[in-house]
Amino acid sequence: MIATCPECAAEISLPADTLESEIISCPECGAELEVISLTPPTLALAPEVEEDWGE
Amino acid sequence: MDIDEVNFLTAMLRIPSVSGQEAEVANFLVAQMHGFGWETYVDPSGSAIGHLGDSGPLIVLLGHIDTVPGNIPVRIEGDLLYGRGSVDAKGPFATFVMAARRAQLAGTLRCRIALVGATEEEAASSRGAHYAKDQYAPQFCVIGEPSGWDRITLGYKGRLLAHYYYEQDAAHSAGEERAAPEHMTDFWAAVQSLCAKHNQGHTRLFEQMIPSLRRVASGGDGMSDWVEATIGIRLPEGVNPAALADELEAMAMPATLRCEGGCPAFRSPRTTPLVSAFMRSIRKAGGQPGFLHKTGTADMNVVGPAWGCPIVAYGPGNSQLDHTPNEHISISEYRTAIAILSDVLSQVG
Repeated sequence: MIATCPECAAEISLPADTLESEIISCPECGAELEVISLTPPTLALAPEVEEDWGE
Repeated sequence: MDIDEVNFLTAMLRIPSVSGQEAEVANFLVAQMHGFGWETYVDPSGSAIGHLGDSGPLIVLLGHIDTVPGNIPVRIEGDLLYGRGSVDAKGPFATFVMAARRAQLAGTLRCRIALVGATEEEAASSRGAHYAKDQYAPQFCVIGEPSGWDRITLGYKGRLLAHYYYEQDAAHSAGEERAAPEHMTDFWAAVQSLCAKHNQGHTRLFEQMIPSLRRVASGGDGMSDWVEATIGIRLPEGVNPAALADELEAMAMPATLRCEGGCPAFRSPRTTPLVSAFMRSIRKAGGQPGFLHKTGTADMNVVGPAWGCPIVAYGPGNSQLDHTPNEHISISEYRTAIAILSDVLSQVG
């Protein structure tokens, strides 16, 4: 499966056992990407990490 | 024998368990989990342990069962369950127990689970987590802390506690000699300055050194005057607590400084199958998953570096209510979090 990095447009080869909602790193730009669909393979930037007080 | 999810948490909340006094709630948990047919015991650190599952990878569900002081009458008002520890962190640990039970009853469990109801997280000792660290080598770990049902915590800042003490011969307040408390305020100002210098150019709280003056006391008996204070510093990644303690001790002289609870910051990657499982489960429940880095410190800081496995913190509740007199949890959120974690446990394996 081939998908495109939405950040740098690199073509990324996804392993056959990839599941939806997996987070991967783009090997080209390092952006963290979420697999939002397998049909067709589609990637989106993973949600920002927020900061929170507590514990 | 099974127990209703809300009754289970309510019963936990009715048992006071300030740090160091967790025996009664630990015994309650062991009895409840034993009733599910699980292998249970109280370990040497006082933590309540439950084991279930025969095969598959080991996942440790570790949540603390001690609380900070403060009696909050246990009561239900509409959807809200009030009580000390409802958010931090009996609610999350009750979620763990109930989710494991639900997955087991559904026959969907594909992993072995070790539930650790850990002691003294709210103390500098983190006794339960330190003991557990050497008992398990899990493939996955979830720490029980409030993230909210649809969010996942990936990291916590580090921490250092510094206890300052200074004593000098008594002197007249109209004299040249500076009062003992003034020496302490000089040191506090120096700590603030040290942190401000580190924080230049760092806009994210997770990257900053954040000091807090936790306690001050002073006095005298006519022969000598003294001052003591406790300062806490929340540490970003890259700051070594032991090295910082050495630096602070040098700054404090001639006062004495005793540091404890040194714990480096810890951050887990999110490119793991555990995070993916949570994301799928949260989406399945209609949520939009979010990620958190916390300004506080938790048992993740203790076991995360030692175990080196995929790890997150998860649990229902709003951490803004931690340690407050208004601590309460949404019952519907608690039930949703149980469903989500049960689904995660069915995916891990």
